[in-house]
Amino acid sequence: MRPEAKVGLLFIVSILLVIGFAFALGVISPMASSNELTIAYNFAGGIEVGSPVRVMGIKVGKVKSINFSPDFKMPDGEEVKLKIKVAVEKKAWNSIRKDSHFYINLAGVIGEKFLEITPGSMESEQLKSGDTVRGTDPPRIDQLISQSYGLAGKIIKMVEENETSVVSTIETMNKLVVNLNKLMVQMEKTTNATDIGKLIKNLVVLSGDLAYFSQTLRTKEGEDTLKLVKELIWRLEELDKKAIKKFLQDEGIKAKLF
Amino acid sequence: MLAAVGIKVINFNFHLIGVLQLIFQTLASTISPPFRIKDIFKQLNFVAVESAPIVIFCVSFAAVVTIIESSFHMKIVVQNDALVPGFASLLILRELGAVVSALLITSRVGAGLAAEVGSMQVTEQVDALKMLGIDPVRFIVVPRFIACLLGGFLLSILANIVCLICAMLVSQFSLGYTFGSFIVGMKSFVHFQDLVFASIKGASFGAVIPIFSCYYGFKCKAGAEGVGLATTNSVVTTSVAIIVIDFILSYIFSFFY
Repeated sequence: MRPEAKVGLLFIVSILLVIGFAFALGVISPMASSNELTIAYNFAGGIEVGSPVRVMGIKVGKVKSINFSPDFKMPDGEEVKLKIKVAVEKKAWNSIRKDSHFYINLAGVIGEKFLEITPGSMESEQLKSGDTVRGTDPPRIDQLISQSYGLAGKIIKMVEENETSVVSTIETMNKLVVNLNKLMVQMEKTTNATDIGKLIKNLVVLSGDLAYFSQTLRTKEGEDTLKLVKELIWRLEELDKKAIKKFLQDEGIKAKLF
Repeated sequence: MLAAVGIKVINFNFHLIGVLQLIFQTLASTISPPFRIKDIFKQLNFVAVESAPIVIFCVSFAAVVTIIESSFHMKIVVQNDALVPGFASLLILRELGAVVSALLITSRVGAGLAAEVGSMQVTEQVDALKMLGIDPVRFIVVPRFIACLLGGFLLSILANIVCLICAMLVSQFSLGYTFGSFIVGMKSFVHFQDLVFASIKGASFGAVIPIFSCYYGFKCKAGAEGVGLATTNSVVTTSVAIIVIDFILSYIFSFFY
């Protein structure tokens, strides 16, 4: 092999490797055909040219350019000052409808920014390539911080202005707690520990007796007795006071029952 | 002692002027005809094609070490090596590929060039060329300069991509990241311009090699010892120059990110 041929081969291999590298990085993608979409924002949260565009979380394109347009207005008259042009692959184009939302999101450990497009409903009209749509501005962390800072300032101011009343409230609460504590101690002193012990003992005895009684009731003998008593009572029901009185008088019993 | 320092300073200036003179002569001759195409191809074959196997071999091992070390360090620091593909490929593209291949070319080609030119000087072939009215810079240095410049450019591309492929293989079989996840991790850190800057670095390193080698070759003193000294000096100086130029270029390129 001649030196020229070898050198030529090395050149070709190098060029092929560079093309392969570019293809792997997505710098060149001859097979993919894409549609363009312009998304308008007032705040874009640090998105960059080349940031990925995702539909339902799948990467389908990237940000192609970011343009400032101070005099741009949406059809409804809203002033939107930033236009972001994105390329979206045709396979995902069907999912993007007029009612899709365009968010700027954060992903991964390194906090890579990307543009998330939510799928629209099929009843909604499909977008045309090159359309301009309004994106949802991401929340501004700096604004949130400044707002919470303001809130904290207000709380501090309120406390400072009503310092005496706040302090007196706290003091009153403190006294209340102390009093409550004293009350508890007093109660413990007044209730005699021995009395409580007796009470508990009696309760134990009583419950034992009750248990014995109910057990006896449950036996055959107990049940019979209960039946007898019941019958007796039913029989007595028929007798009136006069009959009883007469019976008692006849028997010579002087009772102070009536 | 002061005198010794003075002599060293004067010697350094003397060498500096000589090297700058050689650089300007070479550049002037490079852009003016006649172009010695056949000689350039012959030198390119020697510099690039014949160096390619050894560069690929060494750079592959460098890639393996890089990825394993990065994984080891990341596991210590953040208990996780998920970012290793991105970090390692960026390190390979920004530094490793170009510098390691340039140092390898220096040790192989630079030493050979210095010895070749040195023995030509010792055997008075350079003087013979001058007597024939042939400019030794145009005849000897320019083809080697162009060949090394192009060779450095090509080899740095080759070395970088081979390095990345080896890193990919290691992360597949050792760390458990598939090719796809490696490329995704790489994409979040690496840009195409990294390869462009790496090849610019490679070309610059390549261009330095023949300048110093031929300079020390032309300055070669008589005898085998002289040739040996010229070779040693050329390799040492070129290696130092490569490291310094690497710093300068890295600093310049940092403004493009």
